[in-house]
Amino acid sequence: MSERVLLTQMETSKEILTELQEIAPNLGITGISRAPYALPVGFFEEFPENLMNRIRMEAASYSEFNAGQQNAEVSPLLEIEEISPLLAGLKNKNTYQVPVGYFESLKTKIPALESKPFAPKTKQAPVFTLKFIKYAVAACLIALLGTAVFNLTYHKTTDPIKDLATVSDQDMANYLDSDDIHWTPGITASSASIDFSDNDVHDLLSTVSDDELEQYSASLPEEKRNVN
Amino acid sequence: MAEQKSDTELLALFREPATKEKAFTEIVKKYQERLYWHIRRMLVDHEDSNDVMQNVFIRVWNALSGFREDAQLYTWLYRIATNECLTFIEQQKKKASVSLNELESGLSNKIKADKDFDANKLEWKLQLAIQQLPEKQRVVFMLRYYDEMPYDEMSKVLDTSAGALKASYHHAAKKIEDFILNH
Repeated sequence: MSERVLLTQMETSKEILTELQEIAPNLGITGISRAPYALPVGFFEEFPENLMNRIRMEAASYSEFNAGQQNAEVSPLLEIEEISPLLAGLKNKNTYQVPVGYFESLKTKIPALESKPFAPKTKQAPVFTLKFIKYAVAACLIALLGTAVFNLTYHKTTDPIKDLATVSDQDMANYLDSDDIHWTPGITASSASIDFSDNDVHDLLSTVSDDELEQYSASLPEEKRNVN
Repeated sequence: MAEQKSDTELLALFREPATKEKAFTEIVKKYQERLYWHIRRMLVDHEDSNDVMQNVFIRVWNALSGFREDAQLYTWLYRIATNECLTFIEQQKKKASVSLNELESGLSNKIKADKDFDANKLEWKLQLAIQQLPEKQRVVFMLRYYDEMPYDEMSKVLDTSAGALKASYHHAAKKIEDFILNH
């Protein structure tokens, strides 16, 4: 180390100590201390050689890596020949067959390939898919079947009184005449019993003898004999 | 003892393939102790310091051919060493998932675990006090106090203005003094 450099260092040390004594007098009172750490014996003597060994080793592995990279650029054919000549020999042997002239006729089988230039297909959402139609038909059938079953179950017996309202008086009279049924227009089912007086009963039974009536009465159950 | 070659001479020899390794070994021998202690004071543990110093010189080996001589070699070496130390500390933090405070107390524990540790000795108290400093102040204090680095050189190492470094050193020295007086 030259004398000039040493002198400069000493001046710097003195300046730093003075600076420290000004900032923190208690810290600078004993001068600048050295770190108290210990280190293995001969560490600095061995360090340069240990370091160079590591650098040489890393350089060697780097060269190997580079060599490996270059080998990676070998053609696939040469690579497989090196790894397995057997596999290299089998490389171009295809076990699968195609019909004769398949590839020649491929273009004519797909005319669109020849006539139209390739354009990317835009996907459109279908309005009615086959699946949708199937479900719609099934739903209709179920609805029809349901309606039929409902009608058969709940509308099988119709109200005869309600239906009579749609029949005209003349049709009703014709029907009653044909069946030898006596009917007076204006008398309804609800009023018939009200207008049925004792005289009417007397007239109705005028042709029936007393013996026949007694026989009929005897055939009735006990509780019904005294009615009227 | 042979006269030590200047940095310029060593760099010229390094550029020649025939003398590259020899020149590099000379550079290592010239700066290893200064860099080792700089690293050791930052990391406390010898094994960690040894690993980091090897990484520093491997970086130097790979980048030295592109080194521009308008900067001083030792400033450049300190810059690499400081960055490697801070990177190492950062990695340790991530590995252990600990906060900076926990890491600092970990470093203090390492100091206390040293077989030569003596709590009554000022130099050991000083090491404990340094570990209490924020990272940047710690580096500034060590470069100035131990390595006696001029502010303009330190400015190149830490990319900080000389004025800011002076202020940082001032705060660091005061904090350390307070710690020593109160412990």
